[in-house]
Amino acid sequence: MATTNDKEFRTKLATLSVSQQRQVAALFVQRVFALSNDARIKAALDMAKRADISDAELAVVSQAANTARVESYAQCGRDSDWTTQAGLFVAKAAVSCVGPEVEGENLAWDAAMQVRVARTCMAASGDVTDHKEAEAQYAILDNFLNT
Amino acid sequence: MSASLEKGVRVLKEVIDAPIASYFSSCVHCGLCAEACLFYTETGDPKYTPIHKLEPMRRLYEQEYTVLGRLKKLIGLSKAVTDAELAEWQELVYNSCTLCGRCSVVCPVGNDIVYMVRKFREGMSASGNAPDGIKGAANRTITIGSPMGVKLPAVKAQMRHVEEDYGLPIPMDVEGAEYLVMLSSMEIMNFPEYLGAIAKIMHQAGKTWTLCSTAFEATNAGMQIGNSDLARVIVSRIVDAAEKLKVKTVISPECGHAYTALRWEGANLMGRSFGFKVRHIIEVLGEFQEQGLLKTEGFETDRLTFHDPCQLARRGGVIKQQRNLMNMVSKNFVEMPDAGFMNWCCGGGGGASAIEEGEELRLEAFKKKKSQLDTVKPDRLVTACANCRIVMEEGLEHYQMNLPVVGLTEMIADHIPNPVVAKPEGN
Repeated sequence: MATTNDKEFRTKLATLSVSQQRQVAALFVQRVFALSNDARIKAALDMAKRADISDAELAVVSQAANTARVESYAQCGRDSDWTTQAGLFVAKAAVSCVGPEVEGENLAWDAAMQVRVARTCMAASGDVTDHKEAEAQYAILDNFLNT
Repeated sequence: MSASLEKGVRVLKEVIDAPIASYFSSCVHCGLCAEACLFYTETGDPKYTPIHKLEPMRRLYEQEYTVLGRLKKLIGLSKAVTDAELAEWQELVYNSCTLCGRCSVVCPVGNDIVYMVRKFREGMSASGNAPDGIKGAANRTITIGSPMGVKLPAVKAQMRHVEEDYGLPIPMDVEGAEYLVMLSSMEIMNFPEYLGAIAKIMHQAGKTWTLCSTAFEATNAGMQIGNSDLARVIVSRIVDAAEKLKVKTVISPECGHAYTALRWEGANLMGRSFGFKVRHIIEVLGEFQEQGLLKTEGFETDRLTFHDPCQLARRGGVIKQQRNLMNMVSKNFVEMPDAGFMNWCCGGGGGASAIEEGEELRLEAFKKKKSQLDTVKPDRLVTACANCRIVMEEGLEHYQMNLPVVGLTEMIADHIPNPVVAKPEGN
């Protein structure tokens, strides 16, 4: 049955293994990668899509993605640029994709939410008001589960 | 003398009040303030001695307000303050001072050196010697209402996202609400989850709250640059909003100077008392905890430590609440050396993090925080200031310390069970 709301979305994500969560999370982030275009983020997403990624490989890309995240923060008192700011949330989402497993948390859900904030930044900049990102994520998950 | 210098000197003469005069005349040149300043301890450069950062103002005080100084000036034995000197002092008054207040509390004669630096900044600002980064923030505060140029549509976009994410309404312009929640640009831009945490906490506590469309920004760039008029304008926007909405309490966000400006300076800036209370979010959480309104589930089991924001702990006296809150959700909370009242600054407060050219010095000063952290070796670092959080993340990244930094309000909210509520209308 097709996912139609966040409750179903979250329930289905909870059934995935950590490796599957990484893979589907990477697909979510892929949709907004253009808002970042950081090579470290791309490397993290490429790794997260692989089912056979090792812990050592994860540690390397996770560290690099985290550096990209820290570099993307808007500094206190600096002029805001919401288009650039979207990159921070793309980086946060990528960090979720390759970050360590945390008990009680679902990294794919975390990544999905950060992706939505990245889209929100575009709305804040006045560029776009409705991306229907949630619906797109539902479709990605359904497709992932069906293949 | 240039027009800008003339203006700066005039402002400096005006701000040298009785406390400043008594502080300068009381200084015993002991140097204790140097050992209290992380810019001195981490560089060893005596120019970062806090009282030395005030030298041009001290000379002006002597030349204008002491008999001996006036005589020396008359016979040409004292050096006038120059444009070049004030330009040179920019680094000492802004880049290397976070207004953390550690120097003030160690001074054996009770000189409030932070108060003096802030007064000196008034003259620096008037003479055009404030750093460009802080000037830009102040200009955006005047023209847009936010130091980072955050406008209402951006806040509304974040509100919509948080409502969707948390399934809770984010109220705006609700007259008669108990609490008016203020935000800092840093939270709106970098940590929108703070707003979700507030919604969750207020929902559980059964409290009514609201944001205000005409005053959502609490950051006070006027305090940071040294411009009392601007500081007053920013505070008055919040006061007007609170009075219009008839709220009982205004909640300052996880932002140090926003809190100081509103809670401790606000009434003096406005020249009248407020008809509402001002509380930091951590104080409000502390009150909720005492009243049994915070019901958390589960514990963090990794090793946590807490960084006290200077304006909250040292300047604001809020020390117990954050510890009670940490112990409420953590089984392994450890204190850094000097934690609490004498905690060391992150190195980026008081507007310092807005100064691009001060970055190298900031990272050097961060070695103090690094040494505190190295002593207790935590798994995660918790704090209650969005600016501290980012400054520390940068420092940790620079020194390749793999240590996540989290906000206390969000951590508390994470331990509150998810509410079962209908989605707000319009979503």
